[in-house]
Amino acid sequence: MRKTTRRTLTAAAALATASVLAVTAQAHGPTRRKISESIEINAPADKVWAVVGNFKDSNWVENVAKTEAHGDDPGKSKRTLTLKNGHTIEEEGTNYKPDRMLFGYFIDKIDVADLPVNDFSSNVTVEAEGDGKAKVEWKAAFYRGYMNNDPPPELNDENSEKAVKAWVQKSLANLKAQLEKGAS
Amino acid sequence: MRAHLRGMTSRRGRLKAGPFSLAALLLVWASPSLAQEAYVTAQLANEVAVVDLGAGKVIAHIPVDGAPAGIALSPDRKTAYVTRPEGQSVAVLDLDKRTVTASVAVHGGPLGIAVNPKTGVVYVADWYATRVVVLTPSPEGLKQTGEIAVGKSPSGLAVTPNGGTLLVANREADSVSVVDLATAKETHVIAVGRHPFGLTLSADGSRAYTANVTSNDVSVIDVPGHREIGRIATGDRPYVVALAGGHGFVTDQYSNSVTAFGLDDLKPAGSIDVEDHPEGIAASRDGKSLYVANWGDNTLSVIDAATLKVTGKIAVPDGPRAFGDFLR
Repeated sequence: MRKTTRRTLTAAAALATASVLAVTAQAHGPTRRKISESIEINAPADKVWAVVGNFKDSNWVENVAKTEAHGDDPGKSKRTLTLKNGHTIEEEGTNYKPDRMLFGYFIDKIDVADLPVNDFSSNVTVEAEGDGKAKVEWKAAFYRGYMNNDPPPELNDENSEKAVKAWVQKSLANLKAQLEKGAS
Repeated sequence: MRAHLRGMTSRRGRLKAGPFSLAALLLVWASPSLAQEAYVTAQLANEVAVVDLGAGKVIAHIPVDGAPAGIALSPDRKTAYVTRPEGQSVAVLDLDKRTVTASVAVHGGPLGIAVNPKTGVVYVADWYATRVVVLTPSPEGLKQTGEIAVGKSPSGLAVTPNGGTLLVANREADSVSVVDLATAKETHVIAVGRHPFGLTLSADGSRAYTANVTSNDVSVIDVPGHREIGRIATGDRPYVVALAGGHGFVTDQYSNSVTAFGLDDLKPAGSIDVEDHPEGIAASRDGKSLYVANWGDNTLSVIDAATLKVTGKIAVPDGPRAFGDFLR
């Protein structure tokens, strides 16, 4: 693979140095990426936490049709999320701190067609904002959808990051809509 | 420590000149410039950030592209060697001048790095392969002088204080290679937990500790006996161990915590909440504090080694990994 890249580079020797560096940088293994997204919700923090901290029901998460928990300890148990297209995501709890309103988990198994990530881990926190409002923050760490060299465009760092960002933003918007509708 | 002593000696020389110099000495003692510094590889910011640990802030930025990750210091603590996995090389940094002075190509996936405390020879783990690359300093600069065959995906590594033995955590082989540096040959393979990543040696080199990423535990190795003698349960996805005040401290990447354990009884001694995705951890020279790089939140957490409590945090640039010997 590297040889092919080199040959291409030699053939295109007229390329500017910047392009050569860009190609070289892409030709090697990925580094971990991250996103952090938050949303303000017009609902008290404890009400928001009741939804976010309920690991047996993740239906506010974009594309999720069904949640099945395999155990009762949100800090350790596994769960299966079934998506609207019938695919599943296998997850495992890593962190459950009700006093800090924090829930963390990682993804054991996912189809990169559903979300272009590997080794995805994340933490969601709820914070009281005053005036009966709450802030929800979702931080995620992951590697791109393609773990080897020369990723197809849809699975490269940039597009994997974009896809995770969009999915988290939609999920947080769903959460806000659900809670604000419930409050009125 | 050596830097401390050198500083005091030169001041003491001037002290004889008169009372003005005495005042200068007292000022210098009180100033944070005598505190330790941390060199934090900020992978997503493509730099090594210099942190004044006394002042609790970043005081300089050394640009290092190629997603810097691993770090090791020369025996005189004046030079840092930084792995650049995306740049396929090791950067050489002059820590007093705070500049990159050279870059040495290491193909594959240079990540873990260690320096022989006796000879100054640098060992770089290639995590895409089954080898450790040997780089030797010379008046002409750092040159690749050989490679050592080890297990699959070598990650963390360390050299014993006598300079005679290299230990390598082989992530995909679930083992630790013991390498005799006189012959540059692997002499023993020690089975440990699943996916050992960081490897830490005790000050006397008699014990080694690996953080086993997927079995969520730490393996304790009797180095002269070439065997695992204990296992300690950790939080999720342990990364690397640091040692201070009779305890081991391991960062748990997915639990956002540090698990403390007793070095005598090898039992968990408590879990300390830190911030998002903690990775590199190291103890201060006096053994009173630990510094943890939180990759997700771009901070260093400060832990009191005696009370096992977080006592502060320091903002650092994006994606701090600080995998290795990052304090001086």
